[in-house]
Amino acid sequence: MAQIFSPGADIWLRVAMIAVASVVVGLLLVGGGVVRSDYMTRQNVVREQPVPFSHQHHVAGLGLDCRYCHTSVEQSATAGFPPTHTCMTCHSQIWTDAPVLEPVRQSLATGTPLRWTWVNKLPQFVYFNHSIHVSKGVGCVTCHGQVDTMPLMRRGQPLLMQWCLDCHRNPAPNLRPREAVFDMTWTPPADREAFGKALVERYHIDVGNLTHCYICHR
Amino acid sequence: MASLPPANDSPSVDPTAKVAPDLATLRHRLASGTGRRFWRSLEDLAESDDFRRFVEAEFPAALELSETSRRNFLRLMAAPMMLGGLAACGDMPDEKALPYINQPEILVPGKALYFATATLFEGYAQPVLAETHVGRPTKLEGNPDHPMAGAGTTDAFAQAAVLELYDPDRSRAITFLGRIATWDAFQGVTVGLRDRLRENKGGDLRILIDTVTSPTLRRQLDDLRAAFPQARLHHFEPVGAALRHQGTLRAFGRPLDVHYRLENAAVIVSLEDDIFGPGPSQVRHAAQWSQRRRDHQQDGDLTRLHVAESTPTLTGALAGTTLNAASQRMPVLLANLAGSLGVGEGNTAEAALTQGEQAWVRTAAGELAAHRGIGLLALGAHLPADAQALAHRVNHALGNAGVTVVYSEPVGLAATDEASALLALAEAMAAGEVETLVVLGANPVYTAPADLDFANRMDRVSLRIHAGLYYDETASHCHWHIPLTHPLESWSDARAVDGTASMLQPTVKPLFGGKSVHEVVATLLGQLNATAYDLLRETWDACLGGDEKAWRQVLNDGFVADSVAQTEAPAPQGAAAEVSLAIGVPASGEASGLEAIFRPDPCVWDGRFSNLAWLQELPKPLTKLTWDNVLAISARLAEGLDLGAGDEAELTVKGRSVRGPVWILPGQAERTITVFLGYGRSRAGRVGDGAGFNGYAVRTSAEPWAVPGAALRRTGKRLRLATTQNHATMDGGDFVRTMSVTEARAAHPDEPLAPTFYPQWEYPKYAWAMSIDLDLCIGCNACVVACQAENNIPVVGKEQVEAGREMHWIRVDRYYEGGLDRPDRTLFQPLPCMHCEQAPCEVGCPVNATVHGPEGLNQMVYNRCVGTRTCASYCPYKVRRFNFFEYAATDSPLLQAQRNPNVTVRARGVMEKCTYCVQRISAARIEAQKEGRPIRDGEVVTACQSACPTQAIVFGNQADPDSGVSRRQQSPRQYTLLRELNTRPRTTYQARILDKASDGEA
Repeated sequence: MAQIFSPGADIWLRVAMIAVASVVVGLLLVGGGVVRSDYMTRQNVVREQPVPFSHQHHVAGLGLDCRYCHTSVEQSATAGFPPTHTCMTCHSQIWTDAPVLEPVRQSLATGTPLRWTWVNKLPQFVYFNHSIHVSKGVGCVTCHGQVDTMPLMRRGQPLLMQWCLDCHRNPAPNLRPREAVFDMTWTPPADREAFGKALVERYHIDVGNLTHCYICHR
Repeated sequence: MASLPPANDSPSVDPTAKVAPDLATLRHRLASGTGRRFWRSLEDLAESDDFRRFVEAEFPAALELSETSRRNFLRLMAAPMMLGGLAACGDMPDEKALPYINQPEILVPGKALYFATATLFEGYAQPVLAETHVGRPTKLEGNPDHPMAGAGTTDAFAQAAVLELYDPDRSRAITFLGRIATWDAFQGVTVGLRDRLRENKGGDLRILIDTVTSPTLRRQLDDLRAAFPQARLHHFEPVGAALRHQGTLRAFGRPLDVHYRLENAAVIVSLEDDIFGPGPSQVRHAAQWSQRRRDHQQDGDLTRLHVAESTPTLTGALAGTTLNAASQRMPVLLANLAGSLGVGEGNTAEAALTQGEQAWVRTAAGELAAHRGIGLLALGAHLPADAQALAHRVNHALGNAGVTVVYSEPVGLAATDEASALLALAEAMAAGEVETLVVLGANPVYTAPADLDFANRMDRVSLRIHAGLYYDETASHCHWHIPLTHPLESWSDARAVDGTASMLQPTVKPLFGGKSVHEVVATLLGQLNATAYDLLRETWDACLGGDEKAWRQVLNDGFVADSVAQTEAPAPQGAAAEVSLAIGVPASGEASGLEAIFRPDPCVWDGRFSNLAWLQELPKPLTKLTWDNVLAISARLAEGLDLGAGDEAELTVKGRSVRGPVWILPGQAERTITVFLGYGRSRAGRVGDGAGFNGYAVRTSAEPWAVPGAALRRTGKRLRLATTQNHATMDGGDFVRTMSVTEARAAHPDEPLAPTFYPQWEYPKYAWAMSIDLDLCIGCNACVVACQAENNIPVVGKEQVEAGREMHWIRVDRYYEGGLDRPDRTLFQPLPCMHCEQAPCEVGCPVNATVHGPEGLNQMVYNRCVGTRTCASYCPYKVRRFNFFEYAATDSPLLQAQRNPNVTVRARGVMEKCTYCVQRISAARIEAQKEGRPIRDGEVVTACQSACPTQAIVFGNQADPDSGVSRRQQSPRQYTLLRELNTRPRTTYQARILDKASDGEA
């Protein structure tokens, strides 16, 4: 009876197995990379907005506090978008005929709201609460990035569940004193880890229980 | 609202039909004592093999749905299964954020804002706090500051009012002859009308209206009568308590409202008075009764309740002793009862009574005599005025008046004279005396008794104007239709049943335009530019002296302080003898034929709530039926006529007949047929149309409540009924417990827990738990609808309910103890998720979609769930609900506006269940953490708990020994459901305490 397999068959089999394995692993790696890429997470992607509002100009340039516009950040789940009236407190006096502000003036005149594109939007099954994060010493910059350097708004962090969980598992490195939550320029002291741990203690952060499903999903 | 109920007349196979038991066998089982002690349906009692199989299948009807073989199923499903994952590959579209132009100062986005207002039920205010999210009302809670007893809680109807607000079938436009018209055009018509009316002093103007308690509307109607003195006002409330006023008129010489003070009553004898049943006073009565009961659970001096009734009610379910007698026997029972208490004369011949009746009367009379001054004789509002008057006399003679029952001037506009009844209007229309008819809110074309021939007579009126929430049967017979605003979107006022003036303020701009009833009446008066707010202010500025601060306080509170009705206890006039003799003696029950009685449906009432899917799908407290009404008959009558549940029968009363399915109701008087009203509507809307049959078709104005000489005939057809009474039947026994007073006081040492292989959990800070006291539960269903409103629970439709797919997160199981004809006891058991410490579902889930939380919550993670339904089959309590279809996605955008933004709207293919209102726990935790303190006891109130009028449900932290729930758990009556399974549920129960009388300890 003739040999079924040629002498090279074993080699071919090995090559084929390695090839299949590497294709599978490669696809997984590429897939994993794609979902984490800026393309998918929209991190650092500038969205089209009705008015090219510059956080850099208003925050770093003029020194407006975050809460001047995002008024409910300390009380509510949402930080709040400023009503047209907030824009017009200044812009009824300055840049009153700047063409870029035409939509704002139109909004006030016609009573139709501005339609901003939501930049830092979580999926609807996530029940994120701004007020508790702010009161536990999570700075705006921690999740939103250095908005004072953004001429146009973009997502500062990927906002993936993995990213949320990193901090919920070990919040210490991301904490700052409550007074510095809205400070764009705050820099942590040299011993970041110990400093964070002290804040965890001071703010009674229940570290072990922050990763349970019902904390964010209901 | 995914699927609408199919028309009722399609005969089809009913999955439970083949397990329908033979009544004779059941009787034998019961007599021999081999059957279950507590049973939930006739099928359950029979315990047949077929029924076992039905129970064991997790979704019993699923088996019946498909004849496909496994192989075919897999072949068909291959492609969907392969492509299924692609559904997740969508791109998330950019979402838009629309801020305010000018944000109201009190509004914080993301935080609920509450307004103290009220909804209306039969014209009476039901005080509520309306929860609104950025201008959308989403949920109603009771108003705890309101002085009416139980005002901090609500009934099922108040919970559903928010759905009514968003009902897409509400009328949206003013119409003239069915075509869209304008308000200006209507006002133009009224100008000409007023000129004519001024000439003849309103002689041909008739206004038909339902109960009016609004001070502003009363003022306007007075103005109208002053302007057109000859105009007539007619009042019509299809199932209202008008006879009560007739009774007090006869007893005291003037119409009065009757207010019970159940917190003072040690003994209540009720003749067909459904004190705890649905109705405007349900919450108030339940709260009063519960207050006394909670105070006396320790000492055992519980309110004893003796009820005689022809058809089972929630009051009868609570009673220690019940007597089943035809409704027409009630006057003679009363006369005997009064006679043996020394009130009235004649009719005391016991010979007129059967033995059972004699025994009941003797017990009831003995109890009332022994508890002078703390007893109450309550008489059904539908019983004859003479009987009512006699009952008032009895209460007065026993010294109960002033303590357990008080009287006040009528809170609503009272209709005692015959001239203002509906009958007079119908006759005037027939005689051609009516030129103009204005119908405000009422729907007489549907609800008027059949003998009035209302629709045809109304068609003779030359100008017919209707104002209502819906374009209903009456609107379709009118020239003009004006859409009214909903109580939650209009300025108005109304009195609660205790007389407290309550304020209605808009929580949202009128969704469909619409006019307030005040604006419609003002237009008739020629005040063309009056707004409801101005009219309201006009009324109250006069009372509050124009004090702006006082007005703001009223709006803040939702009611006017100290405006409760002045109560009194007047002495009866005239001789008692005259009254009791006038009652007369009807033939005894056996001799006469069948009796038909008419009752409002416990869920859709007189038909006004027909289009509210929450109420349509709410299992009715006693029958557990959804989406249908029935002819309720006794088991004996069913045997005699060879009828089974679901068989169609024809009921003939005085030459009129109607066809509907029969239902065997344990506890029904043998020869009484109960016709539930409120169904068979033709213009209710997409939800209510075509469901059930119209009971009004056989109702007459002479005998609106009980008619002798009825005939019932089997038609041979079977109709499909969707009842949930056999759904989620648990395996095992001992679900509901009862205890004698002595047992309830003795300490029952906890048996040690069995060892377990499951992980042990530690709860250092919070361990959430719920405790439900079966001794306080009256089975009113408020919790079920409250849960539905809070947790975005979809409605599935009749077909899906039949298939066992109703989605309620909390259900109320109903158990009977004792015989088929007169069960000794009816018990209710609300059943949410048990949140087991050792939860079988948690180990069952292959994808970890249900996991144990750090505070003992059994968490359901919708995003992980792939829909294997393993957890549901592992759950011994059957509390898990599977979302078979995309129920929520097909809701109109209007209904979506009602949804609670803090609760996920679940998708198809996902398991869901009670979460202990985790959104409320989270909110409380966040607030507590921000303030750096622990969560206080009572800070987290679940939706079911906050609605419960008797406070049967308590929720809290069992790790705190001082919390309300921990104290409840110390009760000797504490028990856990299916303890033998060692699941260690967090939801526990307290046993019902039996009456001393039935305990043999008295």
